[in-house]
Amino acid sequence: MFSFNHVNRRTFLRTTAAAAGSLALRPFGLMPALAQSVSDYRALVCVFLFGGNDSNNTVIPMDDASYKAYTSIRGGLALTGTALAPTITDVNGAPFAFHAKLAEVSAMFASRELAVVANAGPLVQPLTRAQYQAQQLAIPSNLFSHSDQQQLWQTSIAQGRSATGWAGRVADYAAAQKWNTSPFPTFFSTAGNSLMGNGAQTQPVAVAPGQSLQMTGFNSSAASQTRYNAMTSLLTLDSGVALSQAANHVLSNSIVDASLLTNALAKATALKTVFPTTSIGNQLKQVAQVIQVHADLGMNRQIFFVSLGGFDTHAGQINTQVNLYGQLSAALAAFRDATHELVLAPNVTAFTESDFGRTFQSTSGDGSDHAWGSHHLVMGGAVKGGQVFGKFPAFQLGGPDDTDTRGRWIPTTSVDQYGATLASWFGVPDAALPGILPNLANFATPTSPTGKLGFLG
Amino acid sequence: MKTSLFSSSRISIAKLSISSLAIANVALAMALAFSSAPLRGDTAAPTYMSDQAAARFLDQATWGPTPAGIAQLKTMGIPAWLNWQFSLYDSDLPDQPLLNAAGNNNTDLRPVQTAFIVNAITNDDQLRQRVAFALSQLWVVSQDTVTPAYAFPPYWRIFREQAFGSYRDVIRAVTLSPAMGRYLNMANNNKGNAAKGTSPNENYARELLQLFTLGLVQLNADGSLVVDAHGVPIPTYDQAIVTNMAKALTGWTYPTAPGATPKNNNPAYYAGDMFAVAANHDTSAKVIFGGVTIPAGQSAEQDLDSVIDAIMAQPTLAPFVSKQLIQHLVTSNPSPGYIARISAVFTNNGQGSSGDLQAVITAILTDPEARNGDDQPLDIAPTFGHLREPVLFVTSMLRGLNGNVTNTNTLYSRTANLGQDLFRAPSVFSYFSPQFRGEKGLSAPEFQIYSTQTAAFRNDYVYTTVYGTLDKGTTVNLAPFLDANSTLEHLLGVISDTFLHGAISANLYQAAYTAAAANKAPIDQVKAALYIVLTSTEYQVIH
Repeated sequence: MFSFNHVNRRTFLRTTAAAAGSLALRPFGLMPALAQSVSDYRALVCVFLFGGNDSNNTVIPMDDASYKAYTSIRGGLALTGTALAPTITDVNGAPFAFHAKLAEVSAMFASRELAVVANAGPLVQPLTRAQYQAQQLAIPSNLFSHSDQQQLWQTSIAQGRSATGWAGRVADYAAAQKWNTSPFPTFFSTAGNSLMGNGAQTQPVAVAPGQSLQMTGFNSSAASQTRYNAMTSLLTLDSGVALSQAANHVLSNSIVDASLLTNALAKATALKTVFPTTSIGNQLKQVAQVIQVHADLGMNRQIFFVSLGGFDTHAGQINTQVNLYGQLSAALAAFRDATHELVLAPNVTAFTESDFGRTFQSTSGDGSDHAWGSHHLVMGGAVKGGQVFGKFPAFQLGGPDDTDTRGRWIPTTSVDQYGATLASWFGVPDAALPGILPNLANFATPTSPTGKLGFLG
Repeated sequence: MKTSLFSSSRISIAKLSISSLAIANVALAMALAFSSAPLRGDTAAPTYMSDQAAARFLDQATWGPTPAGIAQLKTMGIPAWLNWQFSLYDSDLPDQPLLNAAGNNNTDLRPVQTAFIVNAITNDDQLRQRVAFALSQLWVVSQDTVTPAYAFPPYWRIFREQAFGSYRDVIRAVTLSPAMGRYLNMANNNKGNAAKGTSPNENYARELLQLFTLGLVQLNADGSLVVDAHGVPIPTYDQAIVTNMAKALTGWTYPTAPGATPKNNNPAYYAGDMFAVAANHDTSAKVIFGGVTIPAGQSAEQDLDSVIDAIMAQPTLAPFVSKQLIQHLVTSNPSPGYIARISAVFTNNGQGSSGDLQAVITAILTDPEARNGDDQPLDIAPTFGHLREPVLFVTSMLRGLNGNVTNTNTLYSRTANLGQDLFRAPSVFSYFSPQFRGEKGLSAPEFQIYSTQTAAFRNDYVYTTVYGTLDKGTTVNLAPFLDANSTLEHLLGVISDTFLHGAISANLYQAAYTAAAANKAPIDQVKAALYIVLTSTEYQVIH
């Protein structure tokens, strides 16, 4: 089929470039290939679990004391018997069990392809229960609110609002270093706009699963080309209406990205890996297909964002998690298989984020309420799998890790540390990490002067 | 009447051309106006209103201006038109069966979605529908959790009935609605059980405060933040208050299904209101926001009254709700003065009542900031306006194209692709957040769902609408535009009148003219011009 972009791209892009500047328009024009400072490929894939995953039931320490406290406090929410995957041990021999529907995840932990990061969450600095209750130190703003804690996980600036996400700032760094030879965005979302990918100088691209942004409605006739040029010509002109200008920039980016993505995907071959036909399966399939054509896209470094919603389990949690974890685990396993098929398993690292963890104590409807720290999964060939990084909280209501009396865990690992570990593997040097994660220095320890967690090389 | 033509960035062609289309529609509209408008006591002749001013008002108050609607508003004037709209009540959504043909729970929402679109395109109670839709985006219930289709028409009727009613009644009706009871777990939220180690569920208590009434931080009447001596915003509530609010809201269960025996924790049933079960209500004293203490020993009904009274007494309520209604109807970035004027009406409708939505909507639509620039587009502030949300984009385009939509339409799939899956918001945070900000720090709620993907989909949708066939239930009629195409100048005048309040910019005029002129057949010229105008962000952003 005729691709209209070839015909008109040059004209349109020339005008786009003229209007660029600080407007986050794609910096069109050819990046000097010699400045490229990376030669391998690396991709980060954020799997955002919207609603606040009750990770207390994602993975459970199975030593006698922990599991006894777990079943005693969680009551109707406690997973027992066949609701748990078989108990497995980490590299140190400590026993853990995943939710039964995370069977593939459990198997990847056992095969050392997946690690757990325990009790992570947004923090300005390390915080004890006493400090939290006395409000002696800075506490992240608007705790326990979905929208706010989503933002804090995505911005990693726990003091308040930020217009940029931590992955967007990594993308800014990638652009400054010219890691990619193409103007195609480093940050690619299959889940619409997300703050996480907004940079100060770079803007993400959002593409629906199975799409390439290619618009319909044009052919090679002169009338059609004139109409296309008329449509695109407007995008670079100032209408005098601020929100129109903002919309012009989005549409203009869409058209530039479409031309690059459509051409690259045209060279893709069908993956042999079969993905589940769930939303999360379709999204991860799209990611795998874009990874497949990364060289054609001119990309050496990419960050992907996919999402699965429905984790706000205030009631009826058992059934909801059975459903969602089943979708998540099957999709992650397919994605793992696809990275092997592409011979890129060591080059791709997937990780979870979520609004917050949930109360250890259950609600009257067998659910759990909004809390704070939560456990996360990191998957890929470069991951030091079969390990738990960070520390599980003491399973005790009103205990040393609880904000109050319901088991809202104060995180003992910060989003900054999590992000720094991922960004470092991605290629950001230690010296540049504080510019991306301003609170990181607060988490330096004698054993980890940078604050990084060590779950990646 | 503007005199500049091509001398500024905006031009007006509209009043230079009264097309045959317009004349025909004026006649139709007059007939409609006199046949369906109720007789009212006021006989004062309406103040003269231009077509542009009428169209711009209708872009804020309806699902999109039509030539007939413009003529009607001009005939009536804004005050009489508003009174007429307040009296209308013709849109309903069809009740759905509990079970489908196979005897399973009926989760097919499509008949409800299609009816919503038909109402929007067709029915007269346009303002009631717009306000109801705005309210439903504050008070979200989504089918992602509440799966039975029959739950949605009754829930929607709360907003239809209260669109010009009282915010207090909205709070009460939603709180007792079994659909919300299920969505945010107010239903069967029993008091804490020490033996079982459970606490009351905090879900509804938290979102009632955060999303539906007060927000996270205290606001001044003009929408600015209340700050302490150090300049730090003051939270509206803290976790302890959420915990106590959750206790106050315990003890409600679903309505009893016909033929069923009432239980203290009824199974889910979505017709009628929830009712209180004394045994499941926490009767302890509860300290909530604003220094209010709910005394011990009150019933669930009394505690609910106390909670609603406390919410209605909070000064933050008026700016929190007023600003969002302004954003849905008029502009994403209202000035502090605009918010303050609406907040004042929200707080007191002039007769001592707070939360009078009819007064609030009247004030929003007649405020000088909303009306400024009706006849002088150059007076409109650069930051004024808002992006058409997907449903409004779809409906206003079809209404402008003389669209006809039957109950076999599948437009819900279009709005879903654009980010607004009717009755299926992704979470209680709705399709987009009123806090979402775009370029230059501007408030831009609808931009949360305007991405590189949905921007391209909007263009695809315009193409399909103008050049193709949407679905078997939707048609457009381009004949009036073809009739208007005696010259391209005349055609573009009519298109500008229909879609841009007669205020097409010189740039857009030039682009549409060029695209049209590249075609020979008059209908192809019409299609090309429409494509350019409808895909333009000048159209996508109502201003």
